[in-house]
Amino acid sequence: MNTSEERGPGSPADVGGRAEGPAAAHDHLASSRARGARSERARDAALALLVVAGLVAASGLSRWLDARRPAEDPFAAYEELYVAPETARRMSLAFNGLAADWYWLRSLQYVGRKVGAFEGDFRLDDMSRLGIRNLGALLEHSTALDPQFMAAYEFGAVVLPSIDREAAVRLIGRGIRENPGEWRLYHHLGYIHWQAGRFEEAGEAYAAGARIEGAPAWMGALSAQMHAHGGSPEVAREMYLRMYEQATDDQVRGLAALRLAQLDSLAERERIGEVLSAFRARAGRCPASWREAAPLLRAAGLRLDAAGSPLDPSDAPYVLDAADCGARLHECSRIPGK
Amino acid sequence: MNSELSMTEGGAVKKSNAGAPDGLATPARRSEDSGAAAARARGSSARRVAAIARNTFREAVRDRVLYNLVLFVLILTGGAVFLGELSAAQEAKIIVDVGLSAALLFGVFIAIFVGVGLVYKEIERRTIYAIFAKPVGRAEFLLGKYLGLCLTLAVNVFVMGAGVSLALLYVRGGWDPLAASIWPAVGLIYVELMILVAVALLFSSFSTPALSALLTFSVFIIGHFSAELKGLAAAGGAGARLLFNALYYLLPNLTNYAYITAASHGRTPAAADLFGAVLYGLAYITVLLAASALVFKRRNFK
Repeated sequence: MNTSEERGPGSPADVGGRAEGPAAAHDHLASSRARGARSERARDAALALLVVAGLVAASGLSRWLDARRPAEDPFAAYEELYVAPETARRMSLAFNGLAADWYWLRSLQYVGRKVGAFEGDFRLDDMSRLGIRNLGALLEHSTALDPQFMAAYEFGAVVLPSIDREAAVRLIGRGIRENPGEWRLYHHLGYIHWQAGRFEEAGEAYAAGARIEGAPAWMGALSAQMHAHGGSPEVAREMYLRMYEQATDDQVRGLAALRLAQLDSLAERERIGEVLSAFRARAGRCPASWREAAPLLRAAGLRLDAAGSPLDPSDAPYVLDAADCGARLHECSRIPGK
Repeated sequence: MNSELSMTEGGAVKKSNAGAPDGLATPARRSEDSGAAAARARGSSARRVAAIARNTFREAVRDRVLYNLVLFVLILTGGAVFLGELSAAQEAKIIVDVGLSAALLFGVFIAIFVGVGLVYKEIERRTIYAIFAKPVGRAEFLLGKYLGLCLTLAVNVFVMGAGVSLALLYVRGGWDPLAASIWPAVGLIYVELMILVAVALLFSSFSTPALSALLTFSVFIIGHFSAELKGLAAAGGAGARLLFNALYYLLPNLTNYAYITAASHGRTPAAADLFGAVLYGLAYITVLLAASALVFKRRNFK
């Protein structure tokens, strides 16, 4: 029984075994490494899968939880403002500008949400039906944190009066206290008073603004016009023209352009009324269609379409009101009725 | 360690006088020699401080402190691209507010969390023994550490300021005066951060990093409530007046450096306000560094 174990390490058979050994050991090591690498990759893949699956599960659960919550009614929702404006200013350390921006974005989103949920016609200066109750407080926060935030004052001066006129006056009054050299704020204050028909106050606001260094000459002129005939279309035109020129916000500029177009339309309808009166005086009746009065309308400087109908500033044809023998806006017109 | 330092410094002075035997030197020559030696000592001290500052800066770079710039760039890019549509034509203001506030906030975190570790890490790793075995004074060590972190913050704040300017040029599609007018505010943010680093260094010279960070952050908050301290002093009784007035003058008034909001409206601080704030900062930093050196000189590292 001369086995290799009995022969010992120096025997020829053992030498042969050792000659095979390194290759086998190398193969064994290589396969074990490959196995290790494979299992490592499998572990990594499992972990990555776990991350993805976890995210998917969390998103799904989040959606499920959201669906279980009662839907928020944008008209009933009360946006709680947790801190008073002055407290917010103190707590913001050196980041008051950033906090003001946050409140500004929140104001815009707040209005945007209400607008999105409202099914009806509205304009920027008449949003009373949208239930924007907290806009005043949000803008107050924004301007308390950054008293030089002119865009917030401008937005407040245009949008707030139809919701809470006194809050709008307070906001602009605060702006004037913080920025006594800013004549544009007097323009905003004058606009709020003018809209409310308070022409004396509006005139005083424009007069005060005109006294500020660097204020344009039209501030003084508007003050005088306001005292003399504040409710006239001329004053309204001047007011919206200046608003259009001075606005930094595209929406405010759009509103001013719309109001100017409305004033143009009113003037056009007055001219059409004169033309129709002249036609009736001559023919003893109102024209049956625009085509009958087209030469007179053209002579009066009105723009006509191919059918001879006069066009309003939004390029919609006016409707001939045979009963009153006058012109009214077409239902597809973008010109506001009031 | 103190005696070793004074010996070393004394040795350096003695070595510089070696060329002039005392018995042969005239009083005038002795005075010239000692003046030159003092100048050489000052020069070598400045070199030592600069070497420590350079190494502190390198260490901060190695520790990936400047990686916060990547996050900053992401915030600015997001702000520039997305806020334009949300802000109703206020994107420039919002970019300045977001950019400079982020520069201040990131700077505050770096000043506090890196600042409190400046000394502590050297003690913890025991590298401080190797440093003080060389001819380096404790005050030089502190100053070098301070300047190194200030250099890191300077790079940080400069890159962030440049990022805000570039973002403004991008959203405007051309030149915007705001891109230039924000720089005084950027400079004041940097001075504020320099003060905070000095505060962090003072606390870390005698306290643990956690406590130092907490205390420095408290100083940052109270520093922005300085006006309230003065108001409280005016409203209170004699004792309260004394206490709040003392706090008002003892703690740094960081509202002197709050020009971010003004900068977002294109307003720059008046020259007198700017220089006054910088001088106030330098004076305060001097006080803090001197106090840190005093405390640190007495510290036992065993």
